[in-house]
Amino acid sequence: MPLVAGIDCGSGFTKALVAAQDAPGSDLRILGRGRARSGINVDQAAEEALEQALVGNTRSDLSYIAATGFGRYNLSFRDIAITEITTAARGAFFLFPRAGAVLDIGSQTTRAIAVKDNGRVNTFKSNDKCAAGSGMFIARAAKYLEVPLEQVGELSLHAAHAHPISSVCAVLAESEIINHVSSGVSVEDILRGIHDSLADRAGALLKRVGLKDELTFIGGVAHQWGMVRALEQRLNVKVNVAEDCEYVCALGAAVLGLRRLASRN
Amino acid sequence: MRIAAGVDVGSTQTKAVLIGANGDGVKVLSRSLIDTGANVRKAAEKAFDECCQAAGIAQADVGFVVGTGYGRYNISFGHTQMTEISCHARGAHFLCPGTRTVIDMGGQDAKAIGVGPSGEVLDFVMNDKCAAGTGRFLANAAEVMGIGLDDIGPLSLRATRPVKIATVCTVFVESDILSYLSQGKKPEDIMGGVHLAIAKRTMSLARRVNIEPLVTMTGGVARNIGMVRALETVLGQKIIVTPDAQFMGAVGAALFSLEKLGESFESSVWREHAVSSRD
Repeated sequence: MPLVAGIDCGSGFTKALVAAQDAPGSDLRILGRGRARSGINVDQAAEEALEQALVGNTRSDLSYIAATGFGRYNLSFRDIAITEITTAARGAFFLFPRAGAVLDIGSQTTRAIAVKDNGRVNTFKSNDKCAAGSGMFIARAAKYLEVPLEQVGELSLHAAHAHPISSVCAVLAESEIINHVSSGVSVEDILRGIHDSLADRAGALLKRVGLKDELTFIGGVAHQWGMVRALEQRLNVKVNVAEDCEYVCALGAAVLGLRRLASRN
Repeated sequence: MRIAAGVDVGSTQTKAVLIGANGDGVKVLSRSLIDTGANVRKAAEKAFDECCQAAGIAQADVGFVVGTGYGRYNISFGHTQMTEISCHARGAHFLCPGTRTVIDMGGQDAKAIGVGPSGEVLDFVMNDKCAAGTGRFLANAAEVMGIGLDDIGPLSLRATRPVKIATVCTVFVESDILSYLSQGKKPEDIMGGVHLAIAKRTMSLARRVNIEPLVTMTGGVARNIGMVRALETVLGQKIIVTPDAQFMGAVGAALFSLEKLGESFESSVWREHAVSSRD
């Protein structure tokens, strides 16, 4: 029973997932997940996340470690490095094989990926030059509004009338948000306006890669139900969200790692 | 003497200028500068009031007031409004004769303006979608470094090996700066890299207008000598900066006010007196 690990070294957090294959040819069984703030030392964050994901096993039990994400080449104990686009597509395909598109919103990057019916990447578009449309945009807005980030999704869900936000730039939006607050707009309505604006930006990326009727939404921002609702309404598609939406790239890395291991043996 | 005013309500700071004209020519009588804050209308009133007091002139004696800047429609006492683009072009044409290109870097936007031989706007480009190249960007970088905003420009000039900055997003540069600091890079080299990155970005915007000499820099960022030098490096030519660079929009607005008063004059007379007024 080989054990494999996928480690997603993201710009904000490092996520590790450990999985086992019980019999040759069978699907992966996920054993554990772990997460640590990335900081500046990739190895250290990865060790911490992996420690949690191993749930009692040790690193020497692992047959293969596949690294993905922004910091993948800085992970010294990897067997392979795979781009997060490939692993996102693979992980999403493992969970929701019918969805032809993946939207990944992380703390610094937003990506739209079109997935073929075999789980491979067809094409992708990404916005990683600026914080517009990224999780960081929401994090900063939450800071100005003095709302804990974990509550953003719930609050936005309870908006009565989404209040549109016109600034694309995460920094310039600050003044706009402050103006909204001072003119008496509720926090809920502002947050939903932000989610709507992010959904529109994501929609533009998704349309460039090709969006049909089903979308898998991954990355930390997928925890925010207000964002999920905004995507469903603005883009008029079915939106799949995995319970562990932050671990989809790590899962994809584990799936591909296992395949690589099998072909090596 | 006819007295006219210009009030430039910027996103970050509000500037007012009084100018006076008599038979001899035109000169700047007083200036004021305050933070705009949340109440735009009040900021405009206060700047105008302070400016009148500085010149010892009653508000009622000011013949005409032109408002400009993003908050210009909130000026309760103004007679009319002009865009800041026209005002910067006009002001630069007046204070820096021969100006054919204006690079205006303000609190929340950056612009390049092509100026015609008589101070008219030929063309302009504007970056108001992104904070790169604005005072906001620099204030943020200064804060992350723990250095005063007025100190980052001079500091950047001491860079010997400027760091590479891959993105000009204000948010992402924050993490770039922090990671360079943790790697032990010198603050001057970090700031040198930051200024150079922003200069490149601003010049790529500015090149969308036809950049002709003389190039004059206006707006609050013109106070940052490091930015001026970085822009000169990227552009490959000298950039004119006057001590009134930050007031250029208000000066231009005041000049339009004077025209509304029916003051007719030769531009050469204007220039002579205005230039001497700031020396």
